[in-house]
Formats: sequence, C-alpha cells, structure tokens
Amino acid sequence: MMLYALWLLPLVGALVLWTFGPQLKGLGGWVATAFIAASFALTVALFGAASQPNPGSFDGVSAPLVTWIPGFSLGLMLDPLSLLWTLVITGIGGLIHLYAIGYMEGDRAVARFFAYMNFFVFAMLTLVLSDNFVGLLVGWGLVGLASYFLIGFWFFKPSAVAAARKAFVINVVGDVGLMFAVFVLFKATGSAGYWTVFEKAPTLPESIVLLACICIFIGCAAKSAQVPLHTWLPDAMEGPTPVSALIHAATMVTAGVYLVARCAPLWSHSADARELVGTIGAITAIAGALLGIVQWDIKRVLAYSTMSQIGYMIMGVGVGAYSGGVLQFFTHAFFKADLFLAAGLVIHALGDEQDIRNMGGLRTKTPFAFWTMLIGTMSICGIPLLAGFYSKDEVVYQTLERGHPWMYAVAALTAGITAFYMFRMFFIAFFGKNRAGAGAAHAHHGSLPAWVMQLPVGLLALGAIASGYVSIGGDQSPWFRFLAPDFPAADNVPIYAVPISDGLSTVLVLAIVLVGIGLAYWRYGTAAATADASARLAREAKSQPQILVRGYYVDDLIGALVVRPAQAAGGFFGRIVDPHVVDGAVRDLAWIAGVLGLFVRRLQNGLVRAYAIALVVGVAGFLAYYAFAGVTK
Amino acid sequence: MIAFWLLGIWLVLSAIFTVTARKPVYSVIGLLANFVALAMLYLTLNAEFLAVVQIVIYSGAILVLFLFVIALLSSGTAAFGIGPDKMPRAIGPALVLVVATLGLLVFGLSRAPMAISPGTSTSTTGPVGTAGVFGSVSDFGRALFTTHLLPFEVTAFILMVAVIGVILLAGDAAPQPTLGKHAPQRRRSDRAREPILK
Amino acid sequence: MSETVAIANYIGLSAVIFFIGVAGVLTRRNPLIILMAIELMWNAANLALVAFAKSWLNNAGHIFVFLVVTVAAAEAAIGLAIVVIVFRNARNVDVDEAASLRG
Repeated sequence: MMLYALWLLPLVGALVLWTFGPQLKGLGGWVATAFIAASFALTVALFGAASQPNPGSFDGVSAPLVTWIPGFSLGLMLDPLSLLWTLVITGIGGLIHLYAIGYMEGDRAVARFFAYMNFFVFAMLTLVLSDNFVGLLVGWGLVGLASYFLIGFWFFKPSAVAAARKAFVINVVGDVGLMFAVFVLFKATGSAGYWTVFEKAPTLPESIVLLACICIFIGCAAKSAQVPLHTWLPDAMEGPTPVSALIHAATMVTAGVYLVARCAPLWSHSADARELVGTIGAITAIAGALLGIVQWDIKRVLAYSTMSQIGYMIMGVGVGAYSGGVLQFFTHAFFKADLFLAAGLVIHALGDEQDIRNMGGLRTKTPFAFWTMLIGTMSICGIPLLAGFYSKDEVVYQTLERGHPWMYAVAALTAGITAFYMFRMFFIAFFGKNRAGAGAAHAHHGSLPAWVMQLPVGLLALGAIASGYVSIGGDQSPWFRFLAPDFPAADNVPIYAVPISDGLSTVLVLAIVLVGIGLAYWRYGTAAATADASARLAREAKSQPQILVRGYYVDDLIGALVVRPAQAAGGFFGRIVDPHVVDGAVRDLAWIAGVLGLFVRRLQNGLVRAYAIALVVGVAGFLAYYAFAGVTK
Repeated sequence: MIAFWLLGIWLVLSAIFTVTARKPVYSVIGLLANFVALAMLYLTLNAEFLAVVQIVIYSGAILVLFLFVIALLSSGTAAFGIGPDKMPRAIGPALVLVVATLGLLVFGLSRAPMAISPGTSTSTTGPVGTAGVFGSVSDFGRALFTTHLLPFEVTAFILMVAVIGVILLAGDAAPQPTLGKHAPQRRRSDRAREPILK
Repeated sequence: MSETVAIANYIGLSAVIFFIGVAGVLTRRNPLIILMAIELMWNAANLALVAFAKSWLNNAGHIFVFLVVTVAAAEAAIGLAIVVIVFRNARNVDVDEAASLRG
C-alpha cells in the first residue's frame, strides 16, 4: 500500500499542478515539494522492510500491479538497490524542489515547471521501482520525455528547443537498444520479470547473454551520456539549473548505472560484456575530463564532469564492482547536486551570468556559495575525509583488483585531470577581483527568505562530506552489508591478487590529485595569476586546442553521418516523393477519370438513332450469351 | 400451307415497303396491308375474334390516328422537310447488326430445349361457328371476364392514363415547342456557360 | 390446312417481321415512320403469341394479345402527341434535330 502511494504521489502532484497551476500562483512550488517530501517520508518508512531480504532471493517490499498474460505480470518492488535510488530521487529531489521554489520565482510558468518536475520524479520512480523490464522500459521512455520537457522549458529560446530535441533523439536510440534487449531476454527466458530472467541467466548461452548485455548497454550509454552518445548532455544545460541538478546530475543520467547494477546477474555471466562496459566507462571518464579543461561556461564544466564521473560509475559496475560503482553514484548525487545548486546561487547573484571569465572575486560577494562549492569541488576530487574520496578510491582500486590494469591507469590519470579542471573553474570563478563589466546585470531579488535556496545547498554540502562514511569498514561496512542481498560477494567475477595494496593505491591516486590541484592553483589561483586574469584568460581562450573545443568533432561527425543524410532523405521524400508520387497518384487517378469521361462523353450525342443502336447492341449481347451459353434453369 | 406461305410473303413485303417508303402516307398504306395479312394469318390460327380486333382497332383506329398526325404536321402536299444526316455511315452497320441479332435469335432458339410445360388447354378446337370453340368470341369473352379479369381492368386504367396524358401534352395548355420558329432560341453564349471537363 | 404448318414457321415469320421493324427504327429519321416500325414490332410479338396459343390450345395467349393491342394503342397515342408537340412548328421533321440532350 505504501509503495503504491510512494510511486503515485508525484504523479498526483503533477496532475494537481497541471490542472490548478494558474490558481496556485506562488504556492505551486510548495505543493510540489510537499508531494515529493511525502514520497520521501514513505520511503524512509519502508526502509526497514525493504532492506531485510535474504541474499539471493527476493523478500523485500513488493506491490503487484497487473497480471497481463498469465505468467507475465507487472509490479513494483523495493529492494536495497531500488530503495537506494528511491531515497536519492525523493530525498535529493525534494531538496532540489525546495531550492527551485526560490530559483524559479518570478518565472512566468512556475506551475508548469513544477508539474514537469513532479512528473519526472514519478517517471524515475517507475523506472527504479519496476520489478520487470517492461515497466523499466516505460519508465525509461517517460524519463526521456520529462527531460525533453524540462530542457526545453524556456521554449522561446531556440537553443533550448534544439537541445531538448537532440537529447530526446539520442535517448530514443538508447530506447531502441533497450527494447531489443527486452525482446532477446523475453525470447530466451519466456519472461520479462527480473527475477525469472536472473534465475535463468546461468543457463543461457553466452552469446545470448552478451547480445542482451550489449543492447542493454546501448540504452545505458544513451541515457547516461557515455561515449559516443554523450553529445546531448552539455547542450542539456540549456534547462534551468535545478533541472540540471536533478536530472542531469543526480538521477536520470544515473539510470544507466542503475540498470547495469540491476542486471548484475547477467553481467556476471559474460566477461566480454563487462569488458565492453568497463572500457566505455573508462574512455568516457577521461574524454569528459579532458573536455572539461576548455570550458568557459560554469554549467558546462559541471556537465562534462558529470559525464566523466558517470564514466567512473559505469567503469565500476562494468568491472564487477557493483557496490563500489553504486557508492560512487550515491556520493556523486550529493556533491554534484551541491555543485550545481551552488553554481545556481552564483548565477542568480550575478543576474544570470554563466561565463566564468566574467566572474571572479566571488569569495567575498557570495560567501555561502563559495564554501559550499569548495566542499563540493574537494569532494569530487577525492580529498580524504570527504565523500568522493571513499567512492573514487573504491572504484579505482577495484579496476585493478578485477584485472584491468590499463583501466586503473586511466582512472588514476583522470582523477588528476578532474582535480585540475574542477579547481580551474573554482579559482577562475571565485578568486581574484570581480571581472564583471560595467554592463553586468543585477542580482535577482526575490521575495522569499534566503534559506529557501540555501538550506538545500547546505544539506547537500553536508552530504557531500558525510555520505561516504557509510562505506568505512570494507566489506563489513553498513554500505556493503546493505547491498549484499543484491550483490552477493560470491558472484562470477574473479578477483585477482594485485601488486599494489589498497593503501598504496590510495596514496598514489591522492598524489596525482594533489598534483592536479597544484597545477590549477599555479595557473589560476596564485596572486600573480589572478592579477591580470582577464588578459590571461583571453589569451587562453585563443590558444585552446581545437580538438577539445570542438568536442573531438563528435557533433560534426554525427551531423555528417546521421543528421545530414536524414535531412536529405526527408527532403527527397518531401520534395519529390510526396508531390509527385503520392499526390501524383491521386492526380493521375483523377486524370484517368477525366479522360475516360471525355471518351465516354462522345457516346452521348443526343441522337435517338444512336441510342437505339446501343439498345439493339445490348439485346444482341444478351441473345449471344443465351445462344452460346444456353438457357439454364 | 399455301395460305401460310402466301400470307407470309405478303406480310414481309408489306413490312419492307412500310419501312422503306419515302412518304409517310405510303408507309401508312403499307402498314394497312400488313395488318390485313396479319388478320388473315390469325384466321389460319383459329383466332377469329382477334382477327376482327386487329382490323377494327389497329387498322381502323391507330392507322387513322397516324393519318391525322401526318396531316397535322405536313404543310400541304409537299414532302416532309428533312435535315442533314448526322449519322451518315450508320446505315450499313445498323443493318448488319439487325441481321446478326436475328441470326443470333434463330440460332439460340434452335438450340434451346423447348421443354416448357405448355399449361392446360382451355378449350377444344372445332369448326368455326360452333359455340365455345377455341378462338371464338364466347371463349375469349369467358376467359377475359373470369380468369383474366384483373388485366382487363388494368387495360381500362391504361387507356385512361393515355387519354389524360394526351390531353395534358397536346391539349389547351400545350407546353412550349422545342423546335421550330416558336421555340426559345438557344444562344451561343448558353453553350459557353456549359462546364466542360478540361 | 393449318394443322400441317409447324409452329416454328410462325415463330420464324414473327422474328423476321420484328427485325424488319428494328431495322426501320435504326435507319429512318422521320419520327412517324419510326413509330410505325414500332407498331410492326408489336404485331410481330402478337403473331408469336397467337401461334403459341394455338399450339397449346390455351387462350391466355389471346388475352395477352388483347392487352398488347391496348398498350400499343396507348403508346401510339402518346408517342404521336409527343411528336406533334416537338415538331409542331419545326422546319424539319427529323429525329436528328431533337438532339438537345447531348452530353
């Protein structure tokens, strides 16, 4: 019962806001937040029941929905993995809703915004609460739809509309992959429910499992912005900052991670699939990090960092470190949301300025944002005692333990690059003197108290510090024991002995990270660097390597290989096939009718004799028939 | 036998004369000859009453009606005016068609099995003048007023309708003539307003 | 004497007369002649009917001839009335002139 309510409350909220939006006026945001908070409360209430199941079987909270065909039923379930995601979605989602009340104040369509946000939460819950692939697929599609709505929320901006369309189309590619996976699995196992499929997984031929995993991963790659389906994520920053925080940092883009983790039994049976996922994750991690170095928009830096961090998560679940990858998701949700919302505070304070070249000196101008952003940045870099440290360390070491040394090297190197570009952003934006020109806009002044926006950011910053502590203690930590039912230690993924111990690896990575921070400080943070920052930054802008600025030309490649042929095909059909073939067929039919008419018209000459002859011809025809065919009774 | 053949030839020749005569009055005369031959053929078929009916009604009434109309339409003794032939090359094919259809009919009839039950006979034959014999007036009258009463009444109705129709058509309030100098003239612009398929 | 004449002869004769009538309808242009040819056709049918009546000794054929005569008379009357109206003041009494129903 509570599970149904948990799932449906956000939908009710969305419907209420859609219907009564104009009447609610300023209250819309509070109503929306209340619904999400209620869902969160229900999740917490179900925490105990859902986290007790026996390992290897399913005993958590379940809520059946409908039995479609006998033996094929849809329903909801709450087990440790989905419970974790639900907590993040409703909890962090609720905080972001609260923040958005302040951020979106004064916008003309506040009610529509919150309706979409609630709808998104509902869709995401559908995705994670389903106990079968079909429900997952439904949620998958709805989340893409919600993302489209929210990215293109300011629909009067052509760039926002284009970005929304791009995101949706790339997500559709992923949807198709996921659909094929469901088909393959259904054909192979006769069911689309998770537990049935996972029970049968060991008995399936490896090629089938590999095929299913590849198709599932196409979906994950699209949704989680992995190479090569990543190009939509930076453009998705056109949406409002709360949207970027909720959808494109904490929840929707992690759906791919969720799916791979959920299908752990499948992945445990196919080493090739694991290799693929891990490789893509590693490539994405370093590719995103490199692109983050050359960005000037504060939100785009964070977008590329999201792409890179999700690369870490994917790498983690790919090599078989499910709990580690999921831990990275958990900590990332906190510090990335913190970073985005703090960036939103900055943007608001500077009157919608997003270019870090025009910032500077914010340490004194927006101290709250300064401290929260610092916490978030340190967490993402993996500074010890902060959450990011625990999760990153776990993932990186696991790549070595599971036998992928080159991934380890990539991951460690990326950690350093991450530190570099994150602190680059931080130093440019917050240090030095204020570089905003004389024409800078003024800060937003709302009627709401400051805590509406600051409380969520503060809480998230606390999470960015503390969320990693649950994993202290290795395999016996609360974290691993919580997730043990879903990821039993005795799965198929081998663990090797490694030359480097855990502690040594930690120190190694930390050293790389400190080198990265040091480089960033030397280039952007010293007094000398910040003195003539404008000039230095302008010089840097001119000297950035083109391959990075153009995003490895992936957008251009997609444009040439996919977009232009599609447009050409569309043009061909629109300009040639439609007017000439389709319309032509109709026109020709009409022409035939006309010509026939002209011909037949000559028979109607008005002459009595001609008509009489026609009569006699008819009679002759009848007589001929009867003469030759005979009169039959 | 001989009577049949003679009458047959007379019938055909008079029919051809009717159809091919130049002046309508000649056609009427030919038709009259045809009807007389036909009446005699009826006599050979024991249909005395019908022979008389044929003469009285057909030759006596209908042909006279034709003569009246010829008189009405003609302007004195001059031949009827005739316009240009609008189907000049139709006569050959039309005759061929007629002959072909006749051939088909004969051919079909010769092949068709005449296995139709004739129905009960209603009276017996006998020498002319005997009461109630087949084809006599009393036989005909009995059939007309008992077995076939309904058709008889219907004929009365038909005739009434015909009379009313003729009065309406050609009586006092006659409709507009469509040809000739009293007919409304069609102008060239009328034709231009006709919608024509492009 | 008529006993020795087969009914088929009468039917054949009737067919010949009928088609002479048809030829007249198709070929002539004077409406009066056309109507007279139609009378020929009626009479050919009557001949066939009487022949069959004699063959089967069933005077329903005679009754039917009576009906046919009646209808032919009515039709001749109305047809002639129409001819009169159409061609009352026409210069040419020619059926080809009455072609205003052309398409």
